[in-house]
Amino acid sequence: MTLLTIAWRDLQGRFVTSLLTTIAIGLGVGLIVATVLLTGGIKEGFIEGATEYSLIVGAKGSPTQLVLNVVFRMDAAPPNIPFATYQQLQRDPRVEVAVPVAMGDAYEGFRYVATTEAYFAPFPWRRRALALSAGRPFRSDAPARPAYEAVLGADVARRTRLALGDRFYDGEDMAEYPLTVVGVLRAAGTADDRAIFISLPSYWQMNELARTAAVKPLTAVLVRPKRLSDLPALHRGWNLEPETQAALPSVVLLNIFNLLGLVQEVLAVVLGVVVVVVALYLFVTMYNAAWERRREIATMRALGARRVTILAIVLLESCAIAALGGLAGILGGHGAAYLGAHLLAGRGGPVSPAFALSALQPLIFAAVVVLGALAGLLPAVLAYRTEVAENLAAL
Amino acid sequence: MAGGTSGTASRPPRDAVTLRGVTKAFPLGEGRMLQALAVDHLALPVASRTVVRGRSGSGKTTLLNLIAGVSTPTGGSIVVGGTEITTLPEPARDRFRAAQIGYVFQAFNLLPAFSALENVMLAMTFARVVPRGRQRARARELLGRLGLGARLGHQPAQLSRGEQQRVAIARALANDPPLILADEPCASLDAETAREVLAVFLDVCREEARTLLIVSHDDAVLAAGDRRLDMAELNAPAGGA
Repeated sequence: MTLLTIAWRDLQGRFVTSLLTTIAIGLGVGLIVATVLLTGGIKEGFIEGATEYSLIVGAKGSPTQLVLNVVFRMDAAPPNIPFATYQQLQRDPRVEVAVPVAMGDAYEGFRYVATTEAYFAPFPWRRRALALSAGRPFRSDAPARPAYEAVLGADVARRTRLALGDRFYDGEDMAEYPLTVVGVLRAAGTADDRAIFISLPSYWQMNELARTAAVKPLTAVLVRPKRLSDLPALHRGWNLEPETQAALPSVVLLNIFNLLGLVQEVLAVVLGVVVVVVALYLFVTMYNAAWERRREIATMRALGARRVTILAIVLLESCAIAALGGLAGILGGHGAAYLGAHLLAGRGGPVSPAFALSALQPLIFAAVVVLGALAGLLPAVLAYRTEVAENLAAL
Repeated sequence: MAGGTSGTASRPPRDAVTLRGVTKAFPLGEGRMLQALAVDHLALPVASRTVVRGRSGSGKTTLLNLIAGVSTPTGGSIVVGGTEITTLPEPARDRFRAAQIGYVFQAFNLLPAFSALENVMLAMTFARVVPRGRQRARARELLGRLGLGARLGHQPAQLSRGEQQRVAIARALANDPPLILADEPCASLDAETAREVLAVFLDVCREEARTLLIVSHDDAVLAAGDRRLDMAELNAPAGGA
């Protein structure tokens, strides 16, 4: 028999207590792992989903709302701007690309995004161009003759089970304007996976207000200047306009990260308390066990076990419980984070569910085992100091 | 007499255990001491079966604990198998006890989470006398000899009291120690079981010429000894001081 076998048998002998302690450690570790992974996933999701466009021009208001709505499809849609804004930007010699975007209603929770083919164009500066996995892009249709064609994001196609050629509409009042699926996009890991892309004329015709309006509405225009040095002037100029604002997505993203950092700091304090509570629980369990097992420890000593052997057995028990709890916590934490990411993504949140093995897992595991050893140290010393003669008789 | 080693290196000692001027006192607080044991001289010849009788509190268990080295005397010399154990540092005393002394407790003191086989192997794990590869076979063999061949995987709670004490006896014999100490080995058993267990216990000790020291107030146990000592005569404590 090895000391580890002896420690394991002792733990089996206190099965319920050992199991409950392992669960408590597992829950604590799982909470930490899930929180770390989810906050990291959200941050990663924001980075992955960030636009390559340097400027977003929209209606006056909050730049955060504008970026969150246009890029990440979160938050309420800001007020509209006239189509002329896009035309003006397109004519601007400092602008390389201007892409109009109009946010519509939703079909089964997936938002309509009206735009032009330029949205999908593989410009050389794009980190990843949107590619079709099936079908073709929607046609460029004239405002008077909308084609009512739709290109689905990868998640939309998967969740709604709509296929090429399917016609769909949301609500009876839209039955007059059914959309036909003409294409499905490859998964990009961004908010585009959860969007239904249609042409602007189709959108204007489907929208009751836009249908009759003389000035066709847009939500925003994505702008890429020819030179980076033109960006400040473009930004300032459009902000000086009475009806529009120009938001820098990178600045908004930084603000969001700062906010996330603050949340992470608060979470770190909460998780710190969790660590202390779990360590205390393990300490109390091991201390009680060492106290209740004085006779067994005295017996082992009478059989020739040295004090350091007893110390090692109790420490091994503590480390084994911590290791088991840690392992369960890491696995459970990953499961919870995956589930959380899935739920968050389902609700349109920017989150990357790719939880690859990294230094995080072994680091947390090692930290939990060290914490287990520390929590078991005092009980181990108590066991170490158990007097044999005094404790051999039935207690 | 404290310190030094009795006997010679070339010839094995005639006595398995020798006590000279051994005293054991416990503190009562406020600087006062209670002298629980004072043995002027006690020698247990090799392969003898000595039974010590005495009333509760007469110092029987204290005597066993001192010989086993689980507690140290206030004064005097205790030589076991030619080794003066009172001067050994604690770790050396633990190793010596594991290899040289088998201890049978009144309440069996089996570890509840371990099977009968594991309880016996435990003693060998701590002593490291029997090679690890041989420990399981040795434990099986001992338990088989004590009639527990079919109960190897049972935990103490699944065994009768007689079976538990047999496991405890097997455990005491695990490291093949020349000296066996037994503290009221039959006190927790009914008369018939006690008789059976005692017979098995004495047999295995006699077969291998082990020295046996039993403390008991049981007449059946007393009759089994080839030497009978009375604690009242052996122990002459001076009382509180």
